[in-house]
Amino acid sequence: MRLSLMLLITHGKRQRKLGGGKPQRLNILRRVVTGLVRHERIESTYAQCDEAKFYAERLIDYAKLGNTNAGAMRIADYWITEKDLIPKLFETLAPRFAEHDGRYCRLYRLPVTTQNTRDMAVLEYKGNPYPSLRPIPKNHPNSIANILVEGLRQDYEKKMEIDMKDQPAA
Amino acid sequence: MSRLKSLIVPSVRCIVHRRYCSTERVTNALVTEYRNDIFEEEKRRQQGMVRRLEKIEVVHVGPNDPGTFIMNKNLSTPYHCAMHISETYTKYSVLAMVNGEPWDMWRPLTEDCELSFVRFRDKHPEEANKSYWRSCALILGAVMETAFKDTIYVQLARALELPIIKGMFVYDVDLGLKDWTPTNENLRSLSLSAITMKSKDLPFERLEVDPSLALRLFQHNEYKQREVEERVRGGRVTLYRMGKFIDIHDGPMMSKSSLVSMFTVAGIHELPGGLYRVQAISLPHDFYLHSSVWNKLVKRASVPLVGDLSTAGVDESWRETKSSAA
Repeated sequence: MRLSLMLLITHGKRQRKLGGGKPQRLNILRRVVTGLVRHERIESTYAQCDEAKFYAERLIDYAKLGNTNAGAMRIADYWITEKDLIPKLFETLAPRFAEHDGRYCRLYRLPVTTQNTRDMAVLEYKGNPYPSLRPIPKNHPNSIANILVEGLRQDYEKKMEIDMKDQPAA
Repeated sequence: MSRLKSLIVPSVRCIVHRRYCSTERVTNALVTEYRNDIFEEEKRRQQGMVRRLEKIEVVHVGPNDPGTFIMNKNLSTPYHCAMHISETYTKYSVLAMVNGEPWDMWRPLTEDCELSFVRFRDKHPEEANKSYWRSCALILGAVMETAFKDTIYVQLARALELPIIKGMFVYDVDLGLKDWTPTNENLRSLSLSAITMKSKDLPFERLEVDPSLALRLFQHNEYKQREVEERVRGGRVTLYRMGKFIDIHDGPMMSKSSLVSMFTVAGIHELPGGLYRVQAISLPHDFYLHSSVWNKLVKRASVPLVGDLSTAGVDESWRETKSSAA
């Protein structure tokens, strides 16, 4: 987002304008959040994904209260337009993030191509069953550079051990 | 050539009757020429022994680019096969694996075989790493032989094979000097000449010869003559040549000197027997280290490694003076 006077006034929490007004904005966000709960990884414009991320995470926070909580059920009923997903939210997603503390979503920008000039992004819940979008880094533990650094580390540990032995004697 | 012979012959005579001949000096440049002449002659003779071109079938079984090559028996090498696949194979392959055995890139193939190439970034590059480490020791030997003026006759004694985790490779040399401590400028210039060798992109040629020829080749070096007898495998000795430098080793060696990226001569110190032990460290072309880490590695490699020549090889008897002092 651009730096502006409004950003200063709202402590950096200024929202984007989506659609043509408040009801349209909420409809878009509900659609995106429902899609995210169903597929656990969705592709949309960066603006929609970025705005929906906040609501998708708050939805999990409410779902953690349990399906017996009236407030939680009301929020879930409002944000999930396809009602068959409500049990999934309470029984699959909420237990998955029981140990987590916020930040249940991941957001990746997609490259801009000649076919699609819009700024696209991928939004996903963590712990989904799909393969990772980022390449898994290779460590090359048997490479010469790593063996040399490993030798350096072993020397350092040996030195530290000797120092530790010397200290009590002194 | 005749002028060269006239230069060499007195020098040989000088070695034999060193006591009586004080005008002619043996220099490393002359000895190098002498060795190269013998090496070239023997190589030409061995290539001339292949009278009939026979074809062999070589199957490439690497992860990518499968294929079958029809190559010449006793002439084509894995490097030639790599040239048929793509340039990256010739540039970045360290070793070839022929029927699962490590094989030099410049060693002629003798029978129908399965071929694959090893790089430093493979999952299991142990063989490539070992060959890299001993090839770097060979480069170090070449540096030491060419670095000094003609007034100092350098005799290379022996390259000990150390595990990579020791962080250094060493070459023991006889400089004919006493109480010499190299300055930092000396070490830097030695490192620079190694880097020059790297940029020349020299292949590691391999030649199997008779022990008697190897003895004749190394007749100016008493240490190498002793080594020839130890290195006899099935009645043959393996020689390696990089540029103009010739050494004796079992191998296998890496493909080219351009696989080196960083090369630093870390330290030279005198051994009890009067030899000097040169310690250096190097890194292959594929890897990058931060300069602070590299400086720590160089500092570690400069710690003198003490040991006895008779117990050469990889074992635990090698101790660093630092740890023994502590």
